[in-house]
Amino acid sequence: MKDVYILGIESSCDETSVSIVKNGKEDIATVVSSQIDIHKSYGGVVPEIASREHVKNITFVMEECIRKAKMKIDDIDAIAITYGPGLIGSLLIGLEAAKTISFIYNKPLIPIHHIAGHIYANSLEKEMKFPLLALVVSGGHTELVVMKDHFKFEKLGGTLDDAIGECYDKVARVLDLEYPGGPKLDALAHEGNAIYSLPIPLQDQSYNFSFSGLKSAVINLNHKYSQRNESLNKKDLAASFQKVAIASIISKTKKALIDYNIKNLIIAGGVAANRGLREEIEKLSNELTLNITIPSIKYCTDNATMIAAAGYYAYKLGRNADLYLNSKSNDTLN
Amino acid sequence: MNILYIDTSSSYLYTGIVSNNKLLCSIKDNLGQDLSRDAMPKIASMFEKTKLQPNEIDKIIVVNGPGSFTGIRVGLTIAKVYAWSLKIPITTITSLEAMKDSCDLNGIVIPIIDARRNYSYAAIYDGDKCLLKPQYIKNEELTSILDTLDSYVIVTNDDISLKGKKCEYNPNILTIVKKYVEKENINPHLINPEYLKLTEAEENKISDTGN
Repeated sequence: MKDVYILGIESSCDETSVSIVKNGKEDIATVVSSQIDIHKSYGGVVPEIASREHVKNITFVMEECIRKAKMKIDDIDAIAITYGPGLIGSLLIGLEAAKTISFIYNKPLIPIHHIAGHIYANSLEKEMKFPLLALVVSGGHTELVVMKDHFKFEKLGGTLDDAIGECYDKVARVLDLEYPGGPKLDALAHEGNAIYSLPIPLQDQSYNFSFSGLKSAVINLNHKYSQRNESLNKKDLAASFQKVAIASIISKTKKALIDYNIKNLIIAGGVAANRGLREEIEKLSNELTLNITIPSIKYCTDNATMIAAAGYYAYKLGRNADLYLNSKSNDTLN
Repeated sequence: MNILYIDTSSSYLYTGIVSNNKLLCSIKDNLGQDLSRDAMPKIASMFEKTKLQPNEIDKIIVVNGPGSFTGIRVGLTIAKVYAWSLKIPITTITSLEAMKDSCDLNGIVIPIIDARRNYSYAAIYDGDKCLLKPQYIKNEELTSILDTLDSYVIVTNDDISLKGKKCEYNPNILTIVKKYVEKENINPHLINPEYLKLTEAEENKISDTGN
């Protein structure tokens, strides 16, 4: 069979990334230009600044990727683009770039939902086996999705308020950890003990999550201590928060696996890099004898490799778009 | 020689292909909120109409602002990716220059774009001489400059309250292209918008910290 090369472009938040993936699983070349240092001083991503950076970076990143791959644009079979969800101004830069290349070289344009991209990051590790349960955990998402085949998504539940990664970043701010604080909070949690009692969120029969109550509980606890002029042990607070947050994710994931009798679990999204989560998933795997796939750390955060990987399967299914494709800040996984 | 002109700095798409001093094809559409969706396919439609291939373009002239931040980025991204991928020469002009050159006027010409909150993007030209370089300026300040001028014409499509004779802006793509076809080319990687204005976050940071 002829090899298929997909050029992926991702610009949904603060990373400009371009990648070429062969047959949905082999990363030929990937370039990620992160703006993290620029947004750090604002305590979070500033959308207009992110858009401005994407315009500056886009052709540099494309050129570097093509050069690394030792390929020509004409060697590519199709262009996969993150059309949403994400920051609209940021998404548009990748979209216009993808549409321009699609037009000039007459290559199919494949729209990819950002979360589908995160899920398909796992196809870079090993072949995806169906049915599978995907646990999507990132700065913008906390979702449980069942897949019975490629691009057949059934969302079981999601967060009712803050996403898990968002909650991590906000709690990290309470602990005076520099943005993005999530990974730093994870590291700190491993040095402390879960001595503070915090509520496990949303212990119900749904597959939904809720993290804003937990976030408020941490803020209130911190406030209470500072009013009494006592100081909280940051390591212990981090450990306490992490224990409860992950327990909530694990319990809903376990319920979904059992209810749907699924043995294939894949983890997706930036928080998949979380050590605490990985440890608990490992335990769950031993308990339920699961087949688990977690992307390597570099494919957990936003990258175009996962978009190109997803693009391969979408291309095979003929999921093309025309040049009227638009970016969407919000869209259900499809 | 085929030249592709692209201006998406407002809610309008102004685009055209000029070939050997003739306007082969052009589009002037108010796309409003659909600009980002429709700009590329509309540009592509000119190629269908003229039977030109994308690689038959010899130069791109793109408007790099000021105006709508998102709008500028849409056209500029298309233009720079186009020029980069096919290694086609590219140059930029400002929206204010395009406005000035589209009106067949003598004397002092002042293109103005409403920047909201009592600010404008404006420049002042006397023929090709630039008396006030394109800038983001408080309307109050602009008024006091206008008061010192004997006669002038404002070029604008916005409903602005500044005094003076006004001329509506309807881009003359052929005139603009002819005028700037010889303008020095820029490395497409270095083509960037001229917003003329910092982001709010940057402004707030400066007023908070002084740096």
